[in-house]
Amino acid sequence: MNFRLGSVRSLAAIAAIVFAVTACGSTGGGGTASPGKGTLTVAGFNFPESSILAEIYGKSLEHDGYTINYKLLLGTREVVAPALESGQIDLYPGYAATDLEFYNKGAGEASGDVTATTAKRNSRLSALGLVALTPSAAVDQNAFAVTKATQTKFNLTKLSDLAPIGSQLTLGAGPECPTRPYCQPGLQKTYGITFKAFKPLDTDGPLTRAAFKNGTIDVGLVFSSDGDLNSLGLVVLQDDKHLENADNVVPIIRQAAASDEVKRVLNAIDAKLTTADLVTMNSQVSIQHQDADAVAMAWLQQHNYYS
Amino acid sequence: MSVLSNVARWFADPAHWSGPDGIPQRLVEHVQISAESVAIGAVIALPIGIALGHYGRFGNLAINISNVGRALPSFGILVIAFQVFGLGSLPVLVALVALAIPPMITNSYVGLREVDPDVKEAARGMGYRELTQLVRVELPLAVPLVMAGIRTSAVQVVATATLAALIAGGGFGRYVVDGFAQQDYTKLFAGAVLVAALAMATELSLSAVERLLVPPGIQLQRTATAQRATTFKTA
Repeated sequence: MNFRLGSVRSLAAIAAIVFAVTACGSTGGGGTASPGKGTLTVAGFNFPESSILAEIYGKSLEHDGYTINYKLLLGTREVVAPALESGQIDLYPGYAATDLEFYNKGAGEASGDVTATTAKRNSRLSALGLVALTPSAAVDQNAFAVTKATQTKFNLTKLSDLAPIGSQLTLGAGPECPTRPYCQPGLQKTYGITFKAFKPLDTDGPLTRAAFKNGTIDVGLVFSSDGDLNSLGLVVLQDDKHLENADNVVPIIRQAAASDEVKRVLNAIDAKLTTADLVTMNSQVSIQHQDADAVAMAWLQQHNYYS
Repeated sequence: MSVLSNVARWFADPAHWSGPDGIPQRLVEHVQISAESVAIGAVIALPIGIALGHYGRFGNLAINISNVGRALPSFGILVIAFQVFGLGSLPVLVALVALAIPPMITNSYVGLREVDPDVKEAARGMGYRELTQLVRVELPLAVPLVMAGIRTSAVQVVATATLAALIAGGGFGRYVVDGFAQQDYTKLFAGAVLVAALAMATELSLSAVERLLVPPGIQLQRTATAQRATTFKTA
């Protein structure tokens, strides 16, 4: 049951990918942040946590008096980032290391050090008229999961356990995985894992879950903050050689929109947000089927907004 | 120009012509799912369209139902079918069969309806029983329109089978979806070219089949009519 409703949402995300190009073409520029309270367009990626974060950022700014347009489930970073650069959106909830490696085209500059990662990213972003604010302590990083059955069969606890048996296993992840340094090439380079096959699916979405369920894949890319890994019978393998950089939540915003007031509001949110909050909110959306905006509002109210 | 030369280089790369993600394998997947969909669609649609056209009843109903069918977005059906059937080729098959049916019903209905009533009467006068009349007189005369329906369905199905890649299926759509996800626009463009080429090849080969199936009598008659018309104009 969890799977069904979650799937509907995530498949809406597939629709978002398909129509994203058209959507980008038709949405007007989000507002430039005038010195007064203006209009801002907040976008989110095509997965629920991004919608929750976009809603939290958006609603905190609304609380402060801004008018917010939402472009949730807009697509992958390949869609969202160009929309930000062209000014069709004003900000999106990014992730420290992944965004750095996206804007530097996989130059491998990201590290476990959030401060260094942020500094490097901002030097990349400034050329594009963009800036990343202060990263939150909340982390959502890519992780690789196996089913409990696979875990028991091969006695797996960490990613390096996969190296000797990789040739018997099929990896499933988004179609971009074979070209991303934190996915298939990283597993090969850092852990020496060569899989039997790769199945292009989605990133921790309904396709990946269905593929785990019918045994099409053995190892799948999931998010560490995913609220329903347990209920799906999936176990995250420990990243013992630190392939994945700490992906702290951080708003990426157009410099033109990043007034002191906007920065103050968003930094205040990031100072309060934790990984535990992410897991809780994700399970509220994916398991309890609450709407992202209601979950975001509940979080804000707990932290004395709208009270 | 650089896009075109990149795409040309992509096609020239031998790596793209072998293996599970190679063009031959993707072609087989694409053709297989398309052919299955059109075949299943034909088994469902043609008897309905032919029967309704032959008896000349419920024509509006048939055409309206198939028009509603045309209005259903294939992507929507695909998403719903994925919820029901899960991962695999079944959801794709459901969406494509639903797409294949309407043109075949409409065209076979119209094809049978448009058989000259005088010809039908003549057949009956010659002592043809109903089934014999349908098979030996009406169907041969309706072949051009029935085949046009199959051709339309097949071309639409081949073009739409690209969507299969969105739910982890194979076929040429794989290049489009993967190319988009990987920001490899050369691959994306190559995929689009392959889909377009396959759709055109489908159209051309089914036109050839149609020419083979149309009885010589009708072809002769058509030629004669055309010639007469020309003579009239020039005269």
